[in-house]
Amino acid sequence: MISKKLAIEVLNAALETGADYSEIFYEDSSSHSVSLENGKVETTSSNSLCGVGLRLLKNNQCVYGYTNDLSKKGLLALANSLSKSFHDKRVLTVTKLDMIKAKNRNPVTRSYEDVPIEEKIALLKEGIDEINSLKDPRIVRTFGVFGDNRRFVAVFNSKGKWFKRTSEFGRMVFQAIAADQNGFEVGFEGPGAQKDISYFRSEKVNPKKVARKAAETALKMLTAAECPSGVMPVVIGNGWGGVLFHESCGHPLEASAVAKGLSCFSDNKIGDYIASPIVSAVDDSTMPSEWGSIDIDDEGNPGSKRLLIKNGKLNDYMIDDLNGRRMNREGNGACRRQNYRYVPTSRMSNTYICNGKSTPEEIIKATKLGLYAVGFNGGSVDPTTGEFNFGCSEAYIIRDGKIAEPAKGATLIGKGFEILKKIDMVGNDLDLAQGMCGASSGSIRTNVGQPTLRVSEVTVGGRGGELK
Amino acid sequence: MGKYDKFFALAKEAGLEQVELSIAESRSLNISLFHGEVEEYKDNNGYSILARGILNGKCGAAACDIWNKDKAAWLVKEIVANATVIENDDPIFIFKGSEKYHKVNTFNKELENVSIDDKMNALYALEKACKEIDPRIVEVAGTEFSQTSEKVTLVNSNGLNLVQKSNYFTFVAQCVAKQGEQTKSGYDFFLDNDFSKFNVQEFAKKVVKATVDQLGGEACETNKYKAVLHPDVVTSLLRAYLGHAEAEEVQKKSSLFIGKLGQKIASKKITIEDKPLSKNVFARWFDDEGVATYNKPIIKNGVLQTYLYNLTTAAKDGVQTTGNGFGGGSKRGIGTAFVSLKPGKKSLDELFEMVGNGVYITDVSGLHAGLNRQSGNFSLQSTGFMIENGKKGKPLDLITVGGNLLDVFKDVLEVGNDVTVSPSGVSAESLLIKKIAVSGK
Repeated sequence: MISKKLAIEVLNAALETGADYSEIFYEDSSSHSVSLENGKVETTSSNSLCGVGLRLLKNNQCVYGYTNDLSKKGLLALANSLSKSFHDKRVLTVTKLDMIKAKNRNPVTRSYEDVPIEEKIALLKEGIDEINSLKDPRIVRTFGVFGDNRRFVAVFNSKGKWFKRTSEFGRMVFQAIAADQNGFEVGFEGPGAQKDISYFRSEKVNPKKVARKAAETALKMLTAAECPSGVMPVVIGNGWGGVLFHESCGHPLEASAVAKGLSCFSDNKIGDYIASPIVSAVDDSTMPSEWGSIDIDDEGNPGSKRLLIKNGKLNDYMIDDLNGRRMNREGNGACRRQNYRYVPTSRMSNTYICNGKSTPEEIIKATKLGLYAVGFNGGSVDPTTGEFNFGCSEAYIIRDGKIAEPAKGATLIGKGFEILKKIDMVGNDLDLAQGMCGASSGSIRTNVGQPTLRVSEVTVGGRGGELK
Repeated sequence: MGKYDKFFALAKEAGLEQVELSIAESRSLNISLFHGEVEEYKDNNGYSILARGILNGKCGAAACDIWNKDKAAWLVKEIVANATVIENDDPIFIFKGSEKYHKVNTFNKELENVSIDDKMNALYALEKACKEIDPRIVEVAGTEFSQTSEKVTLVNSNGLNLVQKSNYFTFVAQCVAKQGEQTKSGYDFFLDNDFSKFNVQEFAKKVVKATVDQLGGEACETNKYKAVLHPDVVTSLLRAYLGHAEAEEVQKKSSLFIGKLGQKIASKKITIEDKPLSKNVFARWFDDEGVATYNKPIIKNGVLQTYLYNLTTAAKDGVQTTGNGFGGGSKRGIGTAFVSLKPGKKSLDELFEMVGNGVYITDVSGLHAGLNRQSGNFSLQSTGFMIENGKKGKPLDLITVGGNLLDVFKDVLEVGNDVTVSPSGVSAESLLIKKIAVSGK
């Protein structure tokens, strides 16, 4: 850890040439993972990460550097080297650092550091045994991974503030590969949270249930026909289905895209209709112990609940202080980074579409012919054009208001701002799902989520010809 | 060794039979512009160590990014704890060294001497050029220069001590074009270690053209089309295709190349070579296990020549490793440093003529979601152009292309001569293929 005294010295050295803000991000974290393949422990690894990222701002300019040399000499050398980017007179001097205290909404009672590897392995073996108990020869390969991460962060900045934050995460992943003469299919489930290992033995999340689901998906999709292609109504399942909103609307509502006029929503103002009036959406980093929650962001702004879309109208963004300068807004607690090697920026946390009034059954019943997309393997978006794509790992054809045969290989494409306006039914079964989101500040934990909902028309790519 | 002696001594004390350190040190500079101003300036010193060790025939691993006595002890403790629980019976190795290494120079001293002013001037000129070439470019979303020098060291208790130094630079530009209600963005990347090879105007023209050419596009009819695939598209598909040549996938029955050694799996026009000893920035003369690499064909005239091995998978098959032990942790992965698709003789225009009527696919995105690596089936968001009467026609928007990796390379009728090297270490050309399923309107 760095002393406050040294922090003040480094912050001031960085401000020497006219920067209007300097910030030290210290990180000391460790992670562990153990993976099983076909029921046997295949690999284990431990990783320790310790370093400092130093950020200097002047108006809209950002200078950043990181180092693993945490000595006074090393840190001052970094500060001096970075400050050479500016050539003005000092405008600011730091004299003291006051601690910001944040509410701890994500306590982990039993640290993963105290959990023996054997306990994690036992958890995974239970899941794999469950898959094996299906005695289905079409399951040709199984994987189980338990990963945990302990992260200590301390931030000192030239506003005269400092804070520290410790967080711990666990994630349990099961994957099954099923094969027959026609090829291979993969089933994947990976729940995670800022909770201790007992969470993975709960009613909702336990190895048997999670592993079985992965195996069943792989087997179901093995019998699926290639998905038809064309423009059709698509009912998107709850939980993972939220990846649609994450990709197509979440990213374009991050200040990193909005501030520079590079978002497909840049021309919209707060209050403009950007979605169907039955759509409200939220990014909430204050949900207790959730995968994407943070008590305080990387700039010292407390986590918050941001109502992004209110009854179809644009209402708010995810904002960091630097991009906020271009928007005349303060950061609202959305500034995040993977680790000290990344420059932080505005990112999502737990992002979801709010519950509506329909039941999932009503939505299916109201659809004559279309696609029911339940599982997704992720997707990507160009925030400037709003163009997105995402691949379905589990999908079914809807015929006459009933879920019919499974369909594999479906890809949904479109433009986020168009899709939002075409949502015509929203369910009441909101659920969240855990993912890793990659962007300029690295790979971070985010929750996606939504209730079951229907989009009146989406372009579906598949290899199965026309939908009949 | 010196600096790392303590680790080797502690490892021995702890009963670890053999140990190895892979050390990566890097220095990188990264400058990006927005609206003529430096938006971000990064100067980073990277350091990371991966330690592996064998205890009772099992391999444990741990990694860290600072070095002191405490960390050395921590690594040893974690290696022991991790190795103790391993149940995999695969043979594992800390390598003693190859008989001969063919060293390739991947460090260009000249690049280190290029002044910061020259780099900044090129970057400012790039942003300016992107803005001025075409009035439909409404925004240059970002231009970026980066330069990295790296040193990779592999040192182990069997006396191996290998060092490879490399350096390279990149330029990136992203443009936004608008026409009516339609917005399109385009992006390109340049990577080399010879600064004189970077031509600002040429690169800017390429990015701008890739951006504005997309304007006015619409979806085509859903159908199967004869197609030309751009080298970038070929590169994306090729990387996934070659994953099936990895011996571990074959041994675990997850590969589409099982039992195909010596058999024709692709069009006779297809020859793909693994060329880690190429004279370019991607060259690696030893793999991550310390094995000397060498050039070899993977597919020759459509016939599969070899699987790609690391030490473990080679021992299981009773063959020599092919020097493809790249990546991974306690268990080394399999990969390639640089692969090359052998070019044909036809120009892009000649390929269009051969197609007559069809599609030209210039970009595919979302491979992590739309490509099933196991089955090889894909359905990908794409952009491109119609090919009409043997010429490039109107742009295509909001389409997906679907197919299977095996079929794509079987269906190749012709390979172009437009050699394109991508930053991912693949050299590829345009491919003319019999058919691809396009879903549009």
